Amino acid sequence: MKLRIKKHWRIWLLVGFLLISTVAVFAPLGGSGGILGSADDAGQASGSQYTNLQFGLELSGGTQVRAPFVGMTVSGLEISPGDERAIESTLQDELGLSASEVRASAESGTVEVFDDGVVGNTTQAEFADALSAAGYSTTTEDVRMGVTRDTRDNAEDVLNERLTERGLGGGSATQVSAPGQQFMVVEVPGANRTEVIDLIGDRGQVEIWAMYPSQNGTYETESLLDQGDLAEVGGARQERGETFVPIRLSEEAGASFGEAMRANGFDQQSGTRCQYDLNASIEANAADDPGRCLLTVLDGEVVFAAGIAPSLSSSFASGAFDEDPSYRTTTTSFEEARELEINMRAGALRTNLDIENRGTTFFLLPSLAEQFKPLSLVTGAAAVLAVSLMIFLRYRRAEVAAPMLLTAGAEVYLLLGFAAAVSLPLDLSHIAGFIAVIGTGVDDLVIIADEIMQQGDVSTSRVFESRFRKAFWVIGAAAATTIVAMSPLAVLSLGDLQGFAIVTIIGVLIGVLITRPAYGDILRILVLGEDD
Amino acid sequence: MDASVPQIDYTEYTNRQLVAVPIGVLAAAIVVLTVATALSGLPVTLGIEFTGGTEMQVVTGDSPAEIRDAFDTEIDSVTPIAGQADTYQLTFQADDADPLLERAESAGYEIESVGERSASFASDSQRQAIFGLAVAFGGMAALVALLFRTFIPSIAVIASAFSDLVIPLALMRLFDIELTLGTVAALLMLVGYSVDSDLLLNNHVLRRHGDFYTSTARAMRTGVTMTTTSIAAMVVMTLVSYTLGIPLLPDVGLILVFGLLADLMNTYLLNVSLLRYYKYEGIAK
Repeated sequence: MKLRIKKHWRIWLLVGFLLISTVAVFAPLGGSGGILGSADDAGQASGSQYTNLQFGLELSGGTQVRAPFVGMTVSGLEISPGDERAIESTLQDELGLSASEVRASAESGTVEVFDDGVVGNTTQAEFADALSAAGYSTTTEDVRMGVTRDTRDNAEDVLNERLTERGLGGGSATQVSAPGQQFMVVEVPGANRTEVIDLIGDRGQVEIWAMYPSQNGTYETESLLDQGDLAEVGGARQERGETFVPIRLSEEAGASFGEAMRANGFDQQSGTRCQYDLNASIEANAADDPGRCLLTVLDGEVVFAAGIAPSLSSSFASGAFDEDPSYRTTTTSFEEARELEINMRAGALRTNLDIENRGTTFFLLPSLAEQFKPLSLVTGAAAVLAVSLMIFLRYRRAEVAAPMLLTAGAEVYLLLGFAAAVSLPLDLSHIAGFIAVIGTGVDDLVIIADEIMQQGDVSTSRVFESRFRKAFWVIGAAAATTIVAMSPLAVLSLGDLQGFAIVTIIGVLIGVLITRPAYGDILRILVLGEDD
Repeated sequence: MDASVPQIDYTEYTNRQLVAVPIGVLAAAIVVLTVATALSGLPVTLGIEFTGGTEMQVVTGDSPAEIRDAFDTEIDSVTPIAGQADTYQLTFQADDADPLLERAESAGYEIESVGERSASFASDSQRQAIFGLAVAFGGMAALVALLFRTFIPSIAVIASAFSDLVIPLALMRLFDIELTLGTVAALLMLVGYSVDSDLLLNNHVLRRHGDFYTSTARAMRTGVTMTTTSIAAMVVMTLVSYTLGIPLLPDVGLILVFGLLADLMNTYLLNVSLLRYYKYEGIAK
């Protein structure tokens, strides 16, 4: 009994795919990171030790956060580039928002405010009125909840950067769309809930403010720098009891910073003395004559205040600073310096994620999740055993039943290969999908076997072909209904269900296109007895 | 030939007699769901994925009553987890997990998992799940109609698929199983599974030559093997995963067992009699 390539190409196709699967699952492909990122952080990687399979949170443990962005958008506007500022300032005045909470873009023709009725107190109607006041006639219906694609893309980059900076390289932030709403999904294997929420919960806007007495003696504060003005950010450091982040400003920002320092008296020979009390409010400090201070401000909160050392102030005075605009952002602790550094590098989110009101979080203890892996394998194996038992009871012929079970097994193996190849993180819902695939797979093989063997002996190859084709009509129709039934779920963002639907659809496709035709060929060899 | 698949002598029963059983069961299921809706406002109990709230799995030596005392918020349910000693699943209506976590930590509980879903997110999921089920069912119905292009055979398939969904829903109510994402997945899988045996039956009866009863018997031999094999797999999956304390899988398995049992009845009583009517009376007229 020889397997000729031309005649039994279906079997060879299956063998080929099995080999590809084996490579995908087991071959060391330079780290187990897959598309989810590098596996530099051994402790955090969600991949398996022996295979290239990725495991989702339910099987590896960790934290997942899904939440929409705070904000509202009006799109489809014709804005000339020169008008962006004017629109923004009108909206700020009308709605009582700060400069960073309003954004108009001429390029995409959109205006967004990063505040809404749920988290802030701007309603859709108020936004529409304010935009109308700015000269763009808008109704409440034009206002969409959520932010622009550009803002979401930016946030995705920022959050991923933060995860990498924090050494949570196995984690990822991705955008998920549901009808009428966009979410950010952040998954971090191995991390606990508080850790993740702390990392992604804030906008991370770092600013440097100057605080100085004005002409009439009262104190004024002015925002001089933010992340956008930095050309280089060094690593957080600790030297002689001082923790700081060395930074270097861009040329332009350096010049204007030096200018502002000179204009407000920060360039005096002896440096400036600062007695800012971090526990008191800005107003209270301003009333208390603190001296000239540079404030490091994170999300509107002063985290550090310091005067200017004599060496720096003289470089302001001489203009040397403008030429080489680098200095140290000092902090009170190393922890804080790290946070500042991460935020400076990653940049700020334009808006917040609303985790509290419109989001979901999920945490699973990694040690418990680790147990689920072998246990779900046991469950799958038990289900396969049950199927085998039923098949043997029904056919009582090992030569019919054994290939059937092997073929169904091959189907799951191909699916695993697919999962490894595209780095699909496996969760419990996928395991349920695998078991479903075994179920439908065996069902279809039963159809093929019964069809071919029921009406007496199959004497010729032609009879075999015709019966096989009849059986395939049912299988094809059943596969099509399953795919139709699952496809809405593969698209909707229902978390668990999406993975399940994708696995089932791919499983059905693998079954119909690869494994079931191969089973037909195997059966032909067994039934016809020779390869005529 | 072996006799592991039982044969039914359909000639002994009229169509009315055959249809009476599945219609009766379907009616009973609908009554259950209607009464439940009248009593509690919803046909089935919704899990926190669809209502919003917090779910927490903790390990503690405390008794359920002591656990209730440890929280100042009311606990919806305290369920021991099978297969893991001293482990409980706690469900809260409150959708802010932070104060609950603090309480649990100060009580010295080990927190194995926390899920928190805000109410508005949950109602979105609910809308999407219903939409998904509707589209899935509609798509399946359209495809079946397209495959057979005749009214009665198509309706026979669609009606038994419908009943295959409604009966498990009623059983979920009776056994107090919550509708979660996992169980929705199981219901959808049922749409696919249940159609298989109906397609097989229709195909044998309508697209082949030969006597109605012979075709039916052949389709049944194959179909019953298929469905019982799947039932066996699902029963084992349910039992094993329940004993091992794996979440999600027991719910999926149980719903499928319910649905597949309903499918056996619907395919070989409801669908068969509709087909027989079509074959002997529908075409003649």
